[in-house]
Amino acid sequence: MTAAGTYVYGIVACGHPVPSGLRGVGMPQAVPEVLTVGATAAVVSAAPVPLRARRRDLLAHQEVLLALALDGPVLPMRFGMVAPDADAVREQLEAGQERNLRALDRLAGRVEMNVKALPATGALAALVAEEPRVRQLREAAHRRPGYEANVRLGEAVVRTLERRAADAAQEIQPELAALAGACSTGPHVDGTVLNLSFLVAREQVVEFRAAVDRLSARYRDRVELRVAGPLPCYSFAAEPEVAAAAAVRTGG
Amino acid sequence: MATTTTYSSSEVVYVPRAGTLYDTLELILDRGMVIDVFVRVSLVGIEILKIDARIVVASVDTYLKFAEACNRLDLEATSRSTTVPEMFGGAAAKSVGKRKVRKTIESVGDKLRDVVGGSEEGDEEPEDRQPEEEEPEARPRRRGAKAQSAEGRRRREGER
Repeated sequence: MTAAGTYVYGIVACGHPVPSGLRGVGMPQAVPEVLTVGATAAVVSAAPVPLRARRRDLLAHQEVLLALALDGPVLPMRFGMVAPDADAVREQLEAGQERNLRALDRLAGRVEMNVKALPATGALAALVAEEPRVRQLREAAHRRPGYEANVRLGEAVVRTLERRAADAAQEIQPELAALAGACSTGPHVDGTVLNLSFLVAREQVVEFRAAVDRLSARYRDRVELRVAGPLPCYSFAAEPEVAAAAAVRTGG
Repeated sequence: MATTTTYSSSEVVYVPRAGTLYDTLELILDRGMVIDVFVRVSLVGIEILKIDARIVVASVDTYLKFAEACNRLDLEATSRSTTVPEMFGGAAAKSVGKRKVRKTIESVGDKLRDVVGGSEEGDEEPEDRQPEEEEPEARPRRRGAKAQSAEGRRRREGER
Protein backbone atom coordinates (compact mmCIF):
# COMPACT_ATOMS: atom_id res chain seq x y z
CA MET A 1 0.00 0.00 0.00
CA THR A 2 1.85 3.08 1.16
CA ALA A 3 5.55 3.31 0.70
CA ALA A 4 7.51 3.76 3.89
CA GLY A 5 7.05 7.25 5.19
CA THR A 6 7.45 9.33 8.29
CA TYR A 7 4.84 8.83 10.96
CA VAL A 8 4.04 12.02 12.85
CA TYR A 9 2.84 11.84 16.47
CA GLY A 10 2.62 15.48 17.27
CA ILE A 11 4.19 18.89 17.29
CA VAL A 12 5.91 20.49 20.27
CA ALA A 13 7.90 23.62 20.93
CA CYS A 14 11.60 23.26 20.22
CA GLY A 15 13.44 22.21 23.34
CA HIS A 16 10.44 20.26 24.63
CA PRO A 17 11.92 17.40 26.65
CA VAL A 18 11.45 14.03 24.99
CA PRO A 19 11.48 11.20 27.51
CA SER A 20 13.90 8.42 26.76
CA GLY A 21 12.47 4.99 26.21
CA LEU A 22 9.53 6.13 24.10
CA ARG A 23 8.21 3.37 21.89
CA GLY A 24 6.29 4.17 18.77
CA VAL A 25 4.16 2.48 16.14
CA GLY A 26 5.14 -0.64 14.24
CA MET A 27 6.46 -4.05 15.17
CA PRO A 28 9.18 -3.97 16.32
CA GLN A 29 8.26 -0.62 17.76
CA ALA A 30 10.01 2.31 16.13
CA VAL A 31 11.91 4.74 18.30
CA PRO A 32 10.42 8.23 18.03
CA GLU A 33 12.79 11.05 17.26
CA VAL A 34 12.56 14.81 17.11
CA LEU A 35 12.74 16.92 13.95
CA THR A 36 13.35 20.52 14.89
CA VAL A 37 12.81 23.40 12.49
CA GLY A 38 12.99 26.89 13.92
CA ALA A 39 10.84 27.26 17.01
CA THR A 40 8.83 24.05 16.69
CA ALA A 41 9.60 20.37 16.40
CA ALA A 42 7.77 17.28 15.25
CA VAL A 43 8.02 13.95 17.04
CA VAL A 44 8.22 11.32 14.32
CA SER A 45 9.27 7.77 13.61
CA ALA A 46 9.42 5.44 10.66
CA ALA A 47 5.92 4.52 9.53
CA PRO A 48 4.97 0.86 9.53
CA VAL A 49 4.06 -0.60 6.15
CA PRO A 50 1.19 -0.89 5.72
CA LEU A 51 -0.18 1.32 8.45
CA ARG A 52 -3.47 0.18 9.89
CA ALA A 53 -5.50 0.97 12.97
CA ARG A 54 -4.07 -1.88 15.03
CA ARG A 55 -4.66 -1.89 18.71
CA ARG A 56 -0.97 -1.87 19.54
CA ASP A 57 -0.29 1.01 17.15
CA LEU A 58 -3.17 3.04 18.55
CA LEU A 59 -1.81 2.40 22.00
CA ALA A 60 1.69 3.40 20.95
CA HIS A 61 0.36 6.62 19.45
CA GLN A 62 -1.47 7.38 22.67
CA GLU A 63 1.42 6.48 24.95
CA VAL A 64 3.89 8.67 23.06
CA LEU A 65 1.52 11.63 23.24
CA LEU A 66 0.69 11.07 26.90
CA ALA A 67 4.38 10.98 27.72
CA LEU A 68 5.06 14.15 25.75
CA ALA A 69 2.10 15.94 27.29
CA LEU A 70 3.55 15.47 30.77
CA ASP A 71 6.24 18.03 29.97
CA GLY A 72 4.22 20.74 28.32
CA PRO A 73 1.86 21.48 25.46
CA VAL A 74 1.67 19.11 22.51
CA LEU A 75 -0.30 19.39 19.32
CA PRO A 76 -1.38 15.77 18.94
CA MET A 77 -1.80 14.46 15.44
CA ARG A 78 -4.78 12.38 14.58
CA PHE A 79 -3.78 8.74 14.39
CA GLY A 80 -2.30 7.85 11.03
CA MET A 81 -0.59 11.01 9.85
CA VAL A 82 2.18 9.91 7.54
CA ALA A 83 4.39 12.28 5.61
CA PRO A 84 6.21 11.09 2.49
CA ASP A 85 9.55 11.74 4.18
CA ALA A 86 11.27 13.83 6.84
CA ASP A 87 11.75 16.74 4.46
CA ALA A 88 8.01 17.00 3.94
CA VAL A 89 7.61 17.22 7.71
CA ARG A 90 10.23 19.95 7.88
CA GLU A 91 8.43 21.91 5.16
CA GLN A 92 5.17 21.68 7.06
CA LEU A 93 6.83 22.73 10.30
CA GLU A 94 8.22 25.76 8.59
CA ALA A 95 5.01 26.66 6.80
CA GLY A 96 2.87 26.15 9.90
CA GLN A 97 5.21 27.59 12.50
CA GLU A 98 3.16 30.70 13.29
CA ARG A 99 -0.06 28.80 13.62
CA ASN A 100 1.53 25.98 15.64
CA LEU A 101 3.16 28.39 18.03
CA ARG A 102 -0.15 30.12 18.57
CA ALA A 103 -1.81 26.79 19.28
CA LEU A 104 0.97 25.67 21.64
CA ASP A 105 0.64 28.94 23.44
CA ARG A 106 -3.11 28.53 23.74
CA LEU A 107 -2.71 25.02 25.16
CA ALA A 108 0.19 25.74 27.48
CA GLY A 109 -0.59 24.53 30.98
CA ARG A 110 -3.84 22.95 29.88
CA VAL A 111 -5.03 19.43 29.31
CA GLU A 112 -8.05 17.75 27.82
CA MET A 113 -10.56 16.05 30.07
CA ASN A 114 -13.07 13.84 28.32
CA VAL A 115 -16.41 13.12 29.92
CA LYS A 116 -18.83 10.56 28.58
CA ALA A 117 -22.40 10.38 29.74
CA LEU A 118 -24.17 7.04 29.67
CA PRO A 119 -27.62 5.88 30.69
CA ALA A 120 -27.73 4.94 34.36
CA THR A 121 -28.54 1.29 33.77
CA GLY A 122 -28.03 0.50 37.44
CA ALA A 123 -30.81 2.83 38.51
CA LEU A 124 -33.84 0.93 37.26
CA ALA A 125 -35.71 1.30 40.52
CA ALA A 126 -35.53 5.08 40.29
CA LEU A 127 -36.61 4.88 36.69
CA VAL A 128 -39.71 2.86 37.51
CA ALA A 129 -40.51 5.09 40.46
CA GLU A 130 -40.17 8.32 38.54
CA GLU A 131 -41.48 7.50 35.09
CA PRO A 132 -45.24 6.92 34.87
CA ARG A 133 -45.09 5.52 31.36
CA VAL A 134 -42.58 2.84 32.35
CA ARG A 135 -44.58 2.05 35.44
CA GLN A 136 -47.71 1.60 33.36
CA LEU A 137 -46.01 -0.74 30.94
CA ARG A 138 -44.50 -2.65 33.81
CA GLU A 139 -47.91 -3.11 35.37
CA ALA A 140 -49.30 -4.14 32.01
CA ALA A 141 -46.55 -6.71 31.64
CA HIS A 142 -47.37 -8.04 35.08
CA ARG A 143 -51.07 -8.27 34.32
CA ARG A 144 -50.62 -9.94 30.95
CA PRO A 145 -47.13 -11.33 30.75
CA GLY A 146 -45.79 -12.17 27.34
CA TYR A 147 -43.31 -11.39 24.67
CA GLU A 148 -45.11 -8.34 23.30
CA ALA A 149 -45.55 -6.73 26.69
CA ASN A 150 -41.94 -7.34 27.58
CA VAL A 151 -40.65 -5.88 24.36
CA ARG A 152 -42.77 -2.79 24.88
CA LEU A 153 -41.61 -2.45 28.45
CA GLY A 154 -37.96 -3.02 27.58
CA GLU A 155 -38.09 -0.56 24.72
CA ALA A 156 -39.63 2.08 26.95
CA VAL A 157 -36.97 1.45 29.57
CA VAL A 158 -34.14 1.82 27.08
CA ARG A 159 -35.61 4.96 25.57
CA THR A 160 -36.35 6.50 28.89
CA LEU A 161 -32.92 5.68 30.26
CA GLU A 162 -31.38 7.47 27.30
CA ARG A 163 -33.69 10.44 27.53
CA ARG A 164 -33.05 10.87 31.23
CA ALA A 165 -29.31 10.57 30.72
CA ALA A 166 -29.31 13.06 27.86
CA ASP A 167 -31.33 15.56 29.89
CA ALA A 168 -29.04 15.20 32.87
CA ALA A 169 -25.97 15.56 30.66
CA GLN A 170 -27.35 18.82 29.30
CA GLU A 171 -27.63 20.10 32.86
CA ILE A 172 -24.17 18.88 33.74
CA GLN A 173 -22.40 20.38 30.73
CA PRO A 174 -22.52 24.05 31.80
CA GLU A 175 -21.39 23.18 35.31
CA LEU A 176 -18.27 21.51 33.97
CA ALA A 177 -17.77 24.12 31.27
CA ALA A 178 -17.55 26.70 34.02
CA LEU A 179 -14.34 25.00 35.13
CA ALA A 180 -12.92 24.81 31.62
CA GLY A 181 -11.46 27.18 29.08
CA ALA A 182 -13.29 25.51 26.24
CA CYS A 183 -15.71 22.68 25.59
CA SER A 184 -15.97 20.52 22.52
CA THR A 185 -18.50 17.86 21.60
CA GLY A 186 -16.72 14.67 20.70
CA PRO A 187 -17.62 12.09 18.08
CA HIS A 188 -20.62 9.94 18.85
CA VAL A 189 -19.70 6.78 20.71
CA ASP A 190 -22.12 3.87 20.85
CA GLY A 191 -23.75 3.53 24.21
CA THR A 192 -23.14 7.11 25.27
CA VAL A 193 -25.64 9.94 25.15
CA LEU A 194 -23.05 12.69 25.20
CA ASN A 195 -19.32 12.83 24.65
CA LEU A 196 -17.67 16.03 25.77
CA SER A 197 -14.12 17.22 25.97
CA PHE A 198 -13.06 20.09 28.19
CA LEU A 199 -9.92 22.16 28.07
CA VAL A 200 -8.83 22.37 31.68
CA ALA A 201 -5.90 24.08 33.35
CA ARG A 202 -3.53 21.43 34.62
CA GLU A 203 -3.73 22.67 38.18
CA GLN A 204 -7.52 22.45 38.04
CA VAL A 205 -7.65 18.81 37.06
CA VAL A 206 -8.23 17.70 40.63
CA GLU A 207 -10.99 20.23 41.03
CA PHE A 208 -12.53 19.15 37.75
CA ARG A 209 -12.53 15.52 38.81
CA ALA A 210 -14.05 16.43 42.13
CA ALA A 211 -16.79 18.28 40.26
CA VAL A 212 -17.45 15.22 38.12
CA ASP A 213 -17.61 13.10 41.25
CA ARG A 214 -20.07 15.50 42.79
CA LEU A 215 -22.26 15.67 39.70
CA SER A 216 -22.02 11.94 39.28
CA ALA A 217 -23.39 11.48 42.76
CA ARG A 218 -26.07 14.12 42.34
CA TYR A 219 -27.34 12.66 39.06
CA ARG A 220 -26.67 9.00 39.78
CA ASP A 221 -30.28 7.98 39.15
CA ARG A 222 -30.21 9.46 35.68
CA VAL A 223 -26.77 9.37 34.20
CA GLU A 224 -23.45 7.65 34.57
CA LEU A 225 -20.31 9.66 33.93
CA ARG A 226 -16.96 8.39 32.78
CA VAL A 227 -13.94 10.62 32.84
CA ALA A 228 -10.73 10.21 30.87
CA GLY A 229 -7.79 12.46 31.45
CA PRO A 230 -5.65 14.37 31.67
CA LEU A 231 -5.14 13.79 27.96
CA PRO A 232 -3.16 15.55 25.27
CA CYS A 233 -5.44 18.18 23.75
CA TYR A 234 -6.77 16.12 20.84
CA SER A 235 -9.94 18.18 20.60
CA PHE A 236 -8.38 21.60 20.96
CA ALA A 237 -5.23 21.46 18.85
CA ALA A 238 -6.79 23.01 15.79
CA GLU A 239 -7.84 26.63 15.88
CA PRO A 240 -11.61 26.84 16.28
CA GLU A 241 -12.26 28.11 12.77
CA VAL A 242 -9.87 25.57 11.29
CA ALA A 243 -11.60 22.82 13.20
CA ALA A 244 -14.95 23.93 11.84
CA ALA A 245 -13.64 23.95 8.29
CA ALA A 246 -12.16 20.49 8.77
CA ALA A 247 -15.48 19.22 10.02
CA VAL A 248 -17.19 20.55 6.93
CA ARG A 249 -14.61 18.91 4.69
CA THR A 250 -14.92 15.58 6.46
CA GLY A 251 -18.68 15.77 6.28
CA GLY A 252 -18.72 16.55 2.56
CA MET B 1 -33.37 -6.89 37.39
CA ALA B 2 -31.29 -5.09 39.96
CA THR B 3 -27.92 -5.86 38.52
CA THR B 4 -25.11 -3.86 39.96
CA THR B 5 -22.80 -2.97 37.17
CA THR B 6 -19.10 -2.92 37.74
CA TYR B 7 -19.10 0.76 36.96
CA SER B 8 -21.90 1.75 39.24
CA SER B 9 -23.20 5.23 39.05
CA SER B 10 -21.28 6.28 42.11
CA GLU B 11 -17.96 5.05 40.80
CA VAL B 12 -16.12 7.31 38.43
CA VAL B 13 -13.42 5.59 36.47
CA TYR B 14 -10.42 7.55 35.40
CA VAL B 15 -8.71 6.52 32.24
CA PRO B 16 -6.49 6.16 30.47
CA ARG B 17 -4.66 3.78 32.61
CA ALA B 18 -1.66 2.31 30.91
CA GLY B 19 -2.69 0.04 28.09
CA THR B 20 -6.27 1.23 27.76
CA LEU B 21 -8.03 2.75 24.79
CA TYR B 22 -11.49 2.34 26.17
CA ASP B 23 -12.42 5.99 26.42
CA THR B 24 -9.90 7.60 24.15
CA LEU B 25 -10.19 5.62 20.95
CA GLU B 26 -12.58 7.98 19.20
CA LEU B 27 -10.38 10.94 20.11
CA ILE B 28 -7.29 9.29 18.68
CA LEU B 29 -9.11 8.36 15.48
CA ASP B 30 -11.27 11.44 15.01
CA ARG B 31 -9.64 14.33 16.79
CA GLY B 32 -6.15 15.72 16.80
CA MET B 33 -4.43 17.72 14.13
CA VAL B 34 -4.69 16.89 10.50
CA ILE B 35 -2.25 18.12 7.93
CA ASP B 36 -3.83 17.76 4.54
CA VAL B 37 -0.58 17.14 2.73
CA PHE B 38 0.02 14.13 4.93
CA VAL B 39 -3.46 12.73 4.97
CA ARG B 40 -3.57 12.10 1.29
CA VAL B 41 -0.60 9.83 1.53
CA SER B 42 -1.87 7.76 4.33
CA LEU B 43 -5.32 7.02 5.44
CA VAL B 44 -7.00 4.69 3.01
CA GLY B 45 -6.67 1.55 5.08
CA ILE B 46 -7.47 3.26 8.31
CA GLU B 47 -10.68 4.77 7.03
CA ILE B 48 -11.85 1.32 6.02
CA LEU B 49 -10.89 -0.25 9.30
CA LYS B 50 -12.00 2.59 11.49
CA ILE B 51 -15.38 1.18 12.38
CA ASP B 52 -14.05 -2.32 12.86
CA ALA B 53 -11.15 -1.10 14.90
CA ARG B 54 -13.55 0.66 17.18
CA ILE B 55 -15.52 -2.45 17.83
CA VAL B 56 -12.55 -4.74 18.19
CA VAL B 57 -10.29 -2.49 20.22
CA ALA B 58 -13.08 -1.49 22.52
CA SER B 59 -14.05 -5.14 22.98
CA VAL B 60 -10.62 -6.09 24.17
CA ASP B 61 -10.70 -3.27 26.66
CA THR B 62 -14.09 -4.43 27.81
CA TYR B 63 -12.75 -7.93 28.36
CA LEU B 64 -9.86 -6.53 30.32
CA LYS B 65 -12.20 -4.50 32.46
CA PHE B 66 -14.30 -7.50 33.26
CA ALA B 67 -11.25 -9.56 34.00
CA GLU B 68 -10.12 -6.87 36.37
CA ALA B 69 -13.53 -6.76 37.99
CA CYS B 70 -13.45 -10.52 38.46
CA ASN B 71 -10.01 -10.43 39.97
CA ARG B 72 -11.09 -7.80 42.40
CA LEU B 73 -14.12 -9.83 43.39
CA ASP B 74 -12.01 -12.78 44.45
CA LEU B 75 -10.29 -10.61 46.98
CA GLU B 76 -13.11 -8.80 48.65
CA ALA B 77 -16.51 -10.07 47.80
CA THR B 78 -16.82 -13.79 48.38
CA SER B 79 -18.92 -13.47 51.48
CA ARG B 80 -20.38 -10.02 51.35
CA SER B 81 -21.96 -9.08 48.09
CA THR B 82 -24.73 -11.04 46.52
CA THR B 83 -25.49 -9.99 43.00
CA VAL B 84 -22.11 -9.39 41.54
CA PRO B 85 -20.45 -12.71 42.41
CA GLU B 86 -23.52 -14.56 41.24
CA MET B 87 -23.29 -12.73 38.03
CA PHE B 88 -19.70 -13.63 37.41
CA GLY B 89 -19.24 -16.73 39.52
CA GLY B 90 -20.47 -19.47 37.23
CA ALA B 91 -19.04 -18.32 33.99
CA ALA B 92 -15.76 -17.06 35.31
CA ALA B 93 -15.04 -20.13 37.38
CA LYS B 94 -15.32 -22.44 34.44
CA SER B 95 -13.29 -20.30 32.11
CA VAL B 96 -15.74 -20.89 29.35
CA GLY B 97 -15.93 -19.85 25.75
CA LYS B 98 -16.77 -16.50 24.37
CA ARG B 99 -20.41 -17.24 23.99
CA LYS B 100 -20.84 -17.72 27.69
CA VAL B 101 -18.72 -14.74 28.52
CA ARG B 102 -20.86 -12.77 26.24
CA LYS B 103 -23.97 -13.99 27.96
CA THR B 104 -22.56 -12.91 31.25
CA ILE B 105 -21.76 -9.56 29.89
CA GLU B 106 -25.22 -9.18 28.48
CA SER B 107 -26.70 -9.75 31.86
CA VAL B 108 -24.64 -6.93 33.21
CA GLY B 109 -26.17 -4.22 31.18
CA ASP B 110 -27.45 -3.25 27.85
CA LYS B 111 -25.01 -0.41 27.45
CA LEU B 112 -22.10 -2.77 27.02
CA ARG B 113 -23.79 -4.79 24.39
CA ASP B 114 -23.03 -2.24 21.76
CA VAL B 115 -19.39 -2.80 22.29
CA VAL B 116 -19.31 -6.50 22.86
CA GLY B 117 -22.02 -7.55 20.49
CA GLY B 118 -19.81 -7.35 17.48
CA SER B 119 -17.14 -9.46 19.00
CA GLU B 120 -18.25 -12.92 18.05
CA GLU B 121 -16.15 -12.96 14.94
CA GLY B 122 -14.05 -9.97 15.57
CA ASP B 123 -12.69 -10.67 18.99
CA GLU B 124 -9.14 -11.15 17.88
CA GLU B 125 -7.20 -8.05 17.17
CA PRO B 126 -7.17 -6.96 13.59
CA GLU B 127 -3.44 -7.54 13.59
CA ASP B 128 -3.18 -9.39 10.40
CA ARG B 129 -6.36 -8.51 8.69
CA GLN B 130 -5.82 -6.81 5.42
CA PRO B 131 -8.37 -4.26 4.32
CA GLU B 132 -8.90 -6.54 1.34
CA GLU B 133 -10.52 -9.04 3.64
CA GLU B 134 -13.33 -6.60 4.10
CA GLU B 135 -15.20 -8.16 1.24
CA PRO B 136 -18.83 -7.41 0.78
CA GLU B 137 -19.77 -10.97 1.77
CA ALA B 138 -18.12 -10.64 5.12
CA ARG B 139 -20.41 -7.86 6.20
CA PRO B 140 -23.80 -9.52 6.17
CA ARG B 141 -22.35 -12.53 7.89
CA ARG B 142 -21.09 -10.48 10.76
CA ARG B 143 -24.34 -8.65 11.00
CA GLY B 144 -26.08 -11.97 11.16
CA ALA B 145 -24.01 -13.05 14.10
CA LYS B 146 -24.84 -9.87 15.87
CA ALA B 147 -28.49 -10.00 15.15
CA GLN B 148 -29.70 -11.75 18.29
CA SER B 149 -28.33 -9.08 20.49
CA ALA B 150 -28.69 -6.16 18.20
CA GLU B 151 -32.40 -5.78 17.94
CA GLY B 152 -32.88 -3.43 20.84
CA ARG B 153 -29.89 -1.49 19.80
CA ARG B 154 -31.03 -0.97 16.28
CA ARG B 155 -34.31 0.19 17.57
CA ARG B 156 -32.55 2.80 19.58
CA GLU B 157 -30.31 3.81 16.77
CA GLY B 158 -33.31 4.30 14.60
CA GLU B 159 -34.39 7.10 16.82
CA ARG B 160 -31.20 9.03 16.67
